[in-house]
Amino acid sequence: MNAIEFILSGMLAAATPFLLAALGELVAERSGVLNLGVEGTMAFGAALGFIVVYNGGGHVLGFVAASLGGVLLSLLFAFVTLGLRANQVATGLAIGILGLGLSAFYGKPYESFTVSGIGKIAVPGLSDIPVVGGLFAQDIVVWLALGTTVVLWYVLAHTKLGLLLRAVGENPKAANSIGYPVVLIRLGAVAFGGAMAGIAGAYASTIYTPLWADGMIAGRGWIAVALVVFGTWMVGRVFWGACLFGAVSLGGIAAQTAGLSVPSQLLTSLPYLVTIIVLGVISSNRTLLKINGVPSLGEPFEK
Amino acid sequence: MTTSITRRNFIAGASVASMAAAVAGRASAATAEDPLLITLVIPSPVADVGWGHALYEGLLAVKESYGDAVQISVIENIYEGPDADRIMNKAVAEGTKFLVAGSFGYQNGAMQIARRNPDVTVLHASGFMVAPNFSPFAAQYSQGTYLMGMAAAALSKTGKIGSVSAFAIPELITSLNAFVLGAQAINPDVELSVVWLNSWFDPAKAQESAKALHAQDCDVIFSNAQDTPSVVAQCEELGIYSFNLNSSMKAYAPKTYLGCVLTDWSPFFKASVDAHVAGTFKGANAFLGVADGVVKTVDWSPDIPAETMAKIKETEAAIADGSFSPFTGPILKADGTEGVPAGVTLTNEEVISMDWHVKGVTTPLPN
Repeated sequence: MNAIEFILSGMLAAATPFLLAALGELVAERSGVLNLGVEGTMAFGAALGFIVVYNGGGHVLGFVAASLGGVLLSLLFAFVTLGLRANQVATGLAIGILGLGLSAFYGKPYESFTVSGIGKIAVPGLSDIPVVGGLFAQDIVVWLALGTTVVLWYVLAHTKLGLLLRAVGENPKAANSIGYPVVLIRLGAVAFGGAMAGIAGAYASTIYTPLWADGMIAGRGWIAVALVVFGTWMVGRVFWGACLFGAVSLGGIAAQTAGLSVPSQLLTSLPYLVTIIVLGVISSNRTLLKINGVPSLGEPFEK
Repeated sequence: MTTSITRRNFIAGASVASMAAAVAGRASAATAEDPLLITLVIPSPVADVGWGHALYEGLLAVKESYGDAVQISVIENIYEGPDADRIMNKAVAEGTKFLVAGSFGYQNGAMQIARRNPDVTVLHASGFMVAPNFSPFAAQYSQGTYLMGMAAAALSKTGKIGSVSAFAIPELITSLNAFVLGAQAINPDVELSVVWLNSWFDPAKAQESAKALHAQDCDVIFSNAQDTPSVVAQCEELGIYSFNLNSSMKAYAPKTYLGCVLTDWSPFFKASVDAHVAGTFKGANAFLGVADGVVKTVDWSPDIPAETMAKIKETEAAIADGSFSPFTGPILKADGTEGVPAGVTLTNEEVISMDWHVKGVTTPLPN
């Protein structure tokens, strides 16, 4: 196995925690709600998922628990921001800190414990191709994440539900005046975002790195939030962004093992640099932002 | 599980304790019968394994020999910085007379405490500052990693070994250098690849790095200063050997665990507490190794050939009696220039300040 194969085979799994959390955040933001609590929600989901799997509940139940935990935190967020119309940025940060605290609290007795991950499912034929074959042998959650990406793209672009969600984000007053329940739709979008963040956390703690350690999410939730902007609120771009981030971070490690004489600090910061550069390029394109942006993002809705 | 205190319930507990102390103080002046309060402050959580665990175990041994005469409190997850200074000051204000500052970054704050409170004894991990009541302490991991290198070379089929390391600081560089030198003592052609995580803590990245090293044919991996079992567990899954520092992680890799360079702080902590109680404590740089009973190698893999194992034990004995040092010349630097001239042995000061890699390390050292 060489460096290219290493990157190709690991890229999708590395991207999955970012992708799942970012897709959830994308739906919430598309409805006009900015939830910055993703990092904490992921950590909470990671802890819950790990606890269930460690105690013999199995991965399915672990993911269910993690998603419910994510929903719980996001409903709390929704109550404060949608119900009480508090500032979304401040509330999101507070919920994020709460999630980190809860994960540390409930995870405490499990510190540094491990569980076993799950096997990989290979696409017959494709996974035997030299060099790129590794791309086609992934665990079930990676395949489901890819499926979710496609479904979400279809729903947002081609269904009434998607149209409704976008309408609420673009012009909540207009959506309300033709009879759609803006707050309820936003509530649903936020809950979906929470569930996805919880699942992303559980993937990180029970499959990708099957161990529990306080702080193990290590900033991945923030990357997910950045990826949504990076992808200009479009499913396809968020997907490519997550893959790029995963590939660049693995590439940095592979370059070190191959003995390239590039400072490791630079390689470590490469994924972030690439994200910042691409964000900068995208943000400089005003039309792109105008077409895809969410005008009501972060603003509380008043009838 | 270890019983320890988180910051939250420490503060709650401590305020109760201080109230009790205040009440007692009013009734009568503090007597000599009060237990000696020992506080350990560490940046990571005290888990079942790792650096924090090793320090905690060392203090438990003190508790065992002193019984009710000492009381131990652990404050974990304290980031290095002003927060740490505040928390250490609070601990001392609440009666701590023996403080173990478990991370390099606590140095300035801990030193201030030592200067302001001459009756408090401070032990500080991996630092360089010394005061009459302040001792820096560090383990000579290199003595153990040299032995692990010998075993690694005997078991490696590819002649390539790897390491997932936290930061390129002298302490870690020294461990890596000794690891390679030990390996080359068995097989002169062994090469080492290193992934610098530039983070003390990122289990996911540590695992990715282990996979990347495996992809480059490394078949023995040194988990250098990683507190979580992420690398060791990943290597078991990959079917390659691994070892780590501080406390045994054999449970995470029953099949492919090469061994552990254990740190047993109990002899040092006990001696320091004894000296504190007797009033004879004298601050000094404590750079402790095999001879002090602090660095030990345990849980050796049964796969290591008996012949190699005999050589390892022989070398360990020679390190313990001082007749052998991993850093005796001739040693070449990674770029081929002379590192240590023939016949010269690096002093402890030179060993702890190494900022160059020996020949055989293929990854360039970050600046």
